[in-house]
Amino acid sequence: MKFADRIQKVDRRIIYGILALAVILPLVFRLGLKTYTTTPVEDLYRHIDAAAGKDDMAIIMDFTHDPGVLPELYPMDLAILRHCFQRNIKVFTISFLPQGAAIIQLALSEVKEDYPNIEANVDYCNFGFKPWSLKLPIMLGMGDDIAEAVETNSEGLKLENLPIMQNMKNYDNIQVVVEISGSSMGQFWVTYARAKFGVDVAVGLTAVMAADVYPFLQTGQFVGSLGGLKGAAEYEQLVDIFAMNNTEFSKKNARNMAWVEAQYKELPELAKLYKYNKARIGMDAQAIVHVLIILFIILGNIGYFLDQRAQKKKFVK
Amino acid sequence: MKRQIPLMIVLILGLLFVAHVFIPSKLSSDYLDWFMKWTKVIGPFAIVLGVFSLVLVHYNKIKRKAPNWGYSLVTLGALIVTTAVGFIWGIQEGTPYMWIFKNFNVPLGATMFSLLAFYIASAAYKAFRARSIEATVLLVAAIIVMLGRVSIGQAITHWIPDITEWILNVPNLAAKRGIALGVGLGMTATSLKIMLGIERSYLGGRD
Repeated sequence: MKFADRIQKVDRRIIYGILALAVILPLVFRLGLKTYTTTPVEDLYRHIDAAAGKDDMAIIMDFTHDPGVLPELYPMDLAILRHCFQRNIKVFTISFLPQGAAIIQLALSEVKEDYPNIEANVDYCNFGFKPWSLKLPIMLGMGDDIAEAVETNSEGLKLENLPIMQNMKNYDNIQVVVEISGSSMGQFWVTYARAKFGVDVAVGLTAVMAADVYPFLQTGQFVGSLGGLKGAAEYEQLVDIFAMNNTEFSKKNARNMAWVEAQYKELPELAKLYKYNKARIGMDAQAIVHVLIILFIILGNIGYFLDQRAQKKKFVK
Repeated sequence: MKRQIPLMIVLILGLLFVAHVFIPSKLSSDYLDWFMKWTKVIGPFAIVLGVFSLVLVHYNKIKRKAPNWGYSLVTLGALIVTTAVGFIWGIQEGTPYMWIFKNFNVPLGATMFSLLAFYIASAAYKAFRARSIEATVLLVAAIIVMLGRVSIGQAITHWIPDITEWILNVPNLAAKRGIALGVGLGMTATSLKIMLGIERSYLGGRD
């Protein structure tokens, strides 16, 4: 068999095997590749951080995603919650998917164990699962009265009686709605909540969906976005270098790698926990896999062109 | 009458919603409030309907011993067990419901999604060919974006992430906006066809 044929007819199992190694090895032996932050992630961080320490402002985190996308989206869930708990930002969590309600429980309990002073219904409130068919009444209703639209939290307690709701009325008290999903759910928030009430909306999406948000970012309909594992890794880094040191966000510092490296050296133990570094560890594997796929494309095309050339020669003869 | 009444409901409600958006007034605002209350009552019935339909479909498959009926048994079993443990012990962290979620739902879901990487790698090797100028442009753009989205791209040269941002912010944005406009116009046309009774397939059966 000729070289061109051999390249063209590589067994799929060999490709799968190499890919599996490219994923597993960087996860076992950390490469520690640097993370460079981008504007959509920095914008979202800055936007959320603006609610720090304010009793009458909160963010809404919509967890309308299922377990299939957890490897990409769960680090975002943890990073945003850690940011809020660290910087004393009030959080409302909601999901229009039943599986999303379990993910909220998982994320809240995982972050809460490192912040024992954070109290349910005082510093955050979990609205839990709300049926998909109620998304429209809830999204529109919150523009007038959050407590009336959502009615109860995940434990069945009336929202109007909860301490967190004392200074909260409607979207005027919402800093930003962060929709974390593997779908176009964020666009519903833009269509109904932003268009009618002007609330700011941002999204955290799987990498395959990330390219879809650029028209919305340009118009300002999304104030920021986290695209896939990379977006989560960038947010983890911003939380580490700014929130963990209780310092204000600075774009200049975020882009200055020497300053970033210096912050990493002074991180508290809490920030070094595996759960708060998941996305950055995952990005090592993703970087290697991207390079591998590029090599596959190049090799496949070399085989294709050699084959084409051989066929042309055969035809001329 | 079986067709006329639903068509009238669609037309009237459709026109009321158009009026609500384009003629802001107290009346249209009250109409929306009234509609929202109805939606809250009617909406949850969709869940009952969904569960009933799921049970019926799989029960019949098991009863007829249809091909792959074993999967239906697993589906119904999972539905009954998960619902039961949720009702008995609740759905908070530390309950059997969360144990099922963490040990079945999460790994199974992640496994299905991660298969994508293997298909993409195989497709990249065997199908992604520079057969034409258009395919070559796509291929080069894909390589730049793949490198630009990981730190290796930045390590090679800062131009790679910069070009990646340009690709996403200019050609990608233009194409996405074009598609969105097309979809928007299509949705408007389809909505009008439904409201005017031209498109009736949602009613089921023949026209």
